Amino acid sequence: MIPNPRILLVDDERAITSNLAPFLERAGFHVAVAADGEAALDQVDRFDPALIVLDILMPRLDGRAVLRHLRDEDNWTPVILLTQVGESTERAMALEEGADDYLNKPFDPHELVARIRAVLRRARPGRPPLASAQKLLCGKLTMNRTSRRAYLDEKELGLTPKAVALLEYMMTHPDELLSRDRLLDAVWGWDYPTGTRTVDTRIAELRRALGDDPDDPRYIETVHGEGYRFVGQVEGEEG
Amino acid sequence: MNDLLATGDTSRITDVARLTGVPSKLRWLWLAALLPVFLGLLVAGLIVTDQLENHRIYLSGRTIFVAPLVGVLLTSLMSVIILIEWRAEGRIRHAISQREVQMAEQRRRFLQRLDHELKNPLTAIRTGLANLAWLASDETRQATLDSVDAQALRLSRLASDLRKLAELEVRPLETGPVDVEELLQEVLAAAQERPDGDQRHLGLTVPQAPWPLPSVEGDHDLLFLAVHNLVDNALKFTGPGDTVEVRAFEDGARLVIEVADTGQGIPEEEAPYVWDELYRGQGARGVPGSGLGLALVQAITERHGGQVGLRSRSGQGTVFTLRLPI
Repeated sequence: MIPNPRILLVDDERAITSNLAPFLERAGFHVAVAADGEAALDQVDRFDPALIVLDILMPRLDGRAVLRHLRDEDNWTPVILLTQVGESTERAMALEEGADDYLNKPFDPHELVARIRAVLRRARPGRPPLASAQKLLCGKLTMNRTSRRAYLDEKELGLTPKAVALLEYMMTHPDELLSRDRLLDAVWGWDYPTGTRTVDTRIAELRRALGDDPDDPRYIETVHGEGYRFVGQVEGEEG
Repeated sequence: MNDLLATGDTSRITDVARLTGVPSKLRWLWLAALLPVFLGLLVAGLIVTDQLENHRIYLSGRTIFVAPLVGVLLTSLMSVIILIEWRAEGRIRHAISQREVQMAEQRRRFLQRLDHELKNPLTAIRTGLANLAWLASDETRQATLDSVDAQALRLSRLASDLRKLAELEVRPLETGPVDVEELLQEVLAAAQERPDGDQRHLGLTVPQAPWPLPSVEGDHDLLFLAVHNLVDNALKFTGPGDTVEVRAFEDGARLVIEVADTGQGIPEEEAPYVWDELYRGQGARGVPGSGLGLALVQAITERHGGQVGLRSRSGQGTVFTLRLPI
């Protein structure tokens, strides 16, 4: 990773930026702040950030409009959206529009640092993120995100919709430690303490369908006491 | 916060008052109903005037009375129809206004509870921050910082729990046939893993004769969450040696799931409120929880077209019921 990557932090709430910017600086990033969407676009040109942390609800130009503007101009600087709307459809839309990840407010600042590092690690300069690819490929496994179907050796896997969504999230966050709570929040939209068992059930379903051995995984690895990790090498493909 | 409550409620009550007036649509109909009388009188008037002046219209004298009479009859008929309409609408309006008052009351209670839930952690945070300036040793500073952090986390959880509850009411369900017996077994297995789970007599009763339980159409993971919350509650409000029974049966139209316990029970006056968001009864003081568990159970059940219910006797125990369409 590049030493001291440049991060552009965009939020209209000064209480957030004035605390978060020094926090990110201490975590080893070089930070610039913008208070609205127009200022953000201005800063993208001048500051040339390695990653943008972008709030959605802002005056003048909101976060989604900024994101759309960047992607329309073929600017693929990684973006993490800070959402508070929380609607699962809203989140899905954000990813389709080319965000690399999103984090719900209120969040733990340590979690944001972990996400920034993960996104920077898997960023492919100048290319669309996995999060917005139409097709995800990993060895014999193919996932078509438009038709919401997964294939192994070109044979369709009979997966429940939740298992498809879980596989999709894991494939778009490869090599990242995904806690059960995070998976619940991202895929199920709730993370009540009772839910962890629900995640395990779906992971078991995926492993059965993929013929993946938990002791020697090609796809999904168990990180004991912490969660899961997608260990396969994932490539994105359009159309 | 109190000001907000006051203004919020007054506007609601004015709305309700406005609803009870004569609706404008009916006011126009009344005017239209008067038209036949007016026309009848006009015709009669014209005839009289004409006959007095030059007798060019030759009509029997009766017409002069018939025209207004027809007008009066038509107007009366329309008036009766309008009256019936008005009364029917009035009944609907009355029901709506009652519901509005009920909702305003529910909203007031919710805001009060939210106020309470926010005040405590905020007071703790502000006190902690005020203390930080005075604390000399690193050790006490760290302890204060930890407690401030814990309170901030509590507020975060509250915010996201409320958001999720709101989201649950609108998000699409992922439905499929759910094997209820299997689901209940999963819930019990999860309950037994709790540290206090093995100190209660946990039991599951599911009929096998004359046929096993039918499956219900629903979202497996959400239904799991609903029943799990009920069992979790039962474990929280019972002591070692108490019994928690999970039962299910069907009556042809509905599948009924019951979670019964021999715990402390819920006082009669609290029973109507336990489903409300953030409600915490007297007996729940000191027991960890967000006050959103049962609201969640209700939201999930209603999204499945079902109903929740409870029966309780103070000191004897409680039985919660979920009724789901088959």
